[in-house]
Amino acid sequence: MSMRRWRPGVAGLTAVMVVAAGAGYGASSSGAAKSAGTASGSTTIEFAESGLGTEGQQTQAAIKAFEKANPSIKVKIDVLSPNSTTYLQQLQQRFIAGSGTPDVFESDVTYPAKFAQAGWVKPLTSLHPNLHQFFSTEVAAGSYQGKAYAVPWFDNPEGLFYRTDLIKTRPKSPAQVVADAKAAMKKDKSLKEGIAFEGEKYEGAITAFMTVDGAFGGHLTASSVNTSANVAALKWLHDAIYVNKIAPQAVTGWQEGNVQQEFTAGHAAFAINYPFVASVDASTKSSPAHGHTGYIPFPAAKGGRPGSALGGEMLAINAKSSNVAAAWKLIQYLTSPAVEIKRAIATGDPPSLPSAYTSALYAKAPYFRQVKVLNGYAQPRPVSPKYLQISVDLQNAFSAVFANTSSVASAMKSAASQISAANG
Amino acid sequence: MATEAPPALRFGGRHGRPPVSGRVRADRRLGYLMLAPAIVLLLAVTAYPLVYNLWNSFHAENLSEITGQGGWVGVDNYTRMFRSSEWLHALWRTLAFAGVSVAIETVLALGLALMLHRRFRGRGLLRVAVLIPWAVPTVVSATLWKTMFDQRSGFVDYIFGLHTTWLSGIWTSWTAIFVADAWKNIPFIALILLSGLQVIPTEIYEAARIDGASWWQTFRRLTLPLLKPALAVALIFRLLSGLLIFDVVYIMTGGGPGLSTETLSFLNWQTFLVDTDFGYGGAISVMLVVLCLLAAGIVGWLMRTRDLR
Repeated sequence: MSMRRWRPGVAGLTAVMVVAAGAGYGASSSGAAKSAGTASGSTTIEFAESGLGTEGQQTQAAIKAFEKANPSIKVKIDVLSPNSTTYLQQLQQRFIAGSGTPDVFESDVTYPAKFAQAGWVKPLTSLHPNLHQFFSTEVAAGSYQGKAYAVPWFDNPEGLFYRTDLIKTRPKSPAQVVADAKAAMKKDKSLKEGIAFEGEKYEGAITAFMTVDGAFGGHLTASSVNTSANVAALKWLHDAIYVNKIAPQAVTGWQEGNVQQEFTAGHAAFAINYPFVASVDASTKSSPAHGHTGYIPFPAAKGGRPGSALGGEMLAINAKSSNVAAAWKLIQYLTSPAVEIKRAIATGDPPSLPSAYTSALYAKAPYFRQVKVLNGYAQPRPVSPKYLQISVDLQNAFSAVFANTSSVASAMKSAASQISAANG
Repeated sequence: MATEAPPALRFGGRHGRPPVSGRVRADRRLGYLMLAPAIVLLLAVTAYPLVYNLWNSFHAENLSEITGQGGWVGVDNYTRMFRSSEWLHALWRTLAFAGVSVAIETVLALGLALMLHRRFRGRGLLRVAVLIPWAVPTVVSATLWKTMFDQRSGFVDYIFGLHTTWLSGIWTSWTAIFVADAWKNIPFIALILLSGLQVIPTEIYEAARIDGASWWQTFRRLTLPLLKPALAVALIFRLLSGLLIFDVVYIMTGGGPGLSTETLSFLNWQTFLVDTDFGYGGAISVMLVVLCLLAAGIVGWLMRTRDLR
């Protein structure tokens, strides 16, 4: 056979093989429910979590204590990816396959509605959870169509950090944040920026936006995107880079870790971030911000309210688990005040129970006083089974605005129309 | 004078083929048997997902929805795709990136291959060293390049005395993606081309030199035509990986700013694994397969070689 005849065939076959390897995501909606099981009087449950480092160690310690208190239950910890997107994919693959494990799992505050709509997570109604004991905003994030699906584990409210040595009076409005940032940059030449925030195209850009949004009176939901308050909040962040020049264009590549680094390294007078910055600052004595850190809700503009965005993790039970009772026992244990306090001191994860904010906790980590205040203002991101699609559309819009490749008005208009189309 | 045909052709077997002995038949059976596991594996990992994907593309298969799923929707997913401005823009970006990157990278790789083909001290070491970028996983190299293009900590701005936030502009983002992609892939193409250069007989060059051919004439009339088979292989591989580019984009820009660096594979990943829409995602995948087949077919046809006999 001549080369001329078989070459296109070989080329085609190569193409099919290369593409199939990348494009053929096989999925099966069937699959027998499989659970960790019961053997010789003891029940073994599987717990999926994403914690590494100190968080992972703390979870292991708590699980050991749980097993000691409940000798008939063994817990197998399944550590999934620390990257939230990968973590979600790993969980989804198991749910889609119809697996009964993990029996109990950690869930970001934005996932329960999606899991609930897909029927992957067990409604907690029959277990009669006492949800009134938790911060109400996180309980709302774990509910879908009037039913609770997840229990708050820890509650991360995003807020505004500021250097108390450079800014003597806490700002009372967004305009004052700008003025204070400019004054601080003028006063302290070692500052590289007035404010640092998460501007990369990822989920953190949405929480940074929501921290500012409440201060302008905004409410971000699937049906309320292109409102004047939401536009004003996004404009404030855009102007921080391009008009007021208190934030560098480099924020377009910053996630919370970069923001933390900027603040603790003494490069920023203000930072929008999660409370873990406070815990890091408390233990980093060489930091110029050490001992000079204020942590407040974003100050309200006229007609707004103090701004904070809800982050955090919840615990939920797999709808196909055959060890619901044991799984529920584990959730109750991990969300008990004593265990939450221990975790907060060890890892800086803020308790989801207001009752856990005790003098004992404040004695070990005084910044939790501020965290509790922020938890009172923290707003959840849109609670919707389509949140991930909403998030993608918002990330696209915010990323274009932060890069100055789109105007605030057109980006919000476009995001609103895409979100509306996706939600039918 | 009439020439007699060889006996085997005149007196062939039942189908006009030479008779096959029992031993040859047994050898063939053994050959098929030994190939069978590989064929079954290939069918399982290639043919099955491909067909399953095709099936999904004609169905409503959003795995996050409980109701209204699994039904036949005909070409609805394809109609939605062709009407989607996001898909059309992603298609255009993908084609543009694949075209530009493959062209530039192939030229640079050819230069590198020609250089590595010459005799010089340390050639062996350089040949090994040049392969290092190719051996580095793309996720790692893309992460490194992202850091290198960082305005504050990266070396790119430092060396060139710039103050550019590379990944926040449309063209600067594409430049960064192209550099990361080229750094990784040029050695791979160069290696294929180098192997092609090595099989060209040196006598041909000696004859050309005796005939007084210039360097350019030798390159154009001898090297390039004889390099065509290797060039075809390199082009097909590169074109396919260019059309399927995902990891560099995912790591460096996440498709941003906005949607400005979103490619077809990125959109496909998002549809499958973020939206869990296997129906629509299936349609996008199928079109990617068609696109790659088309591209490979065109390259194969353009680079076809005349039968030297």
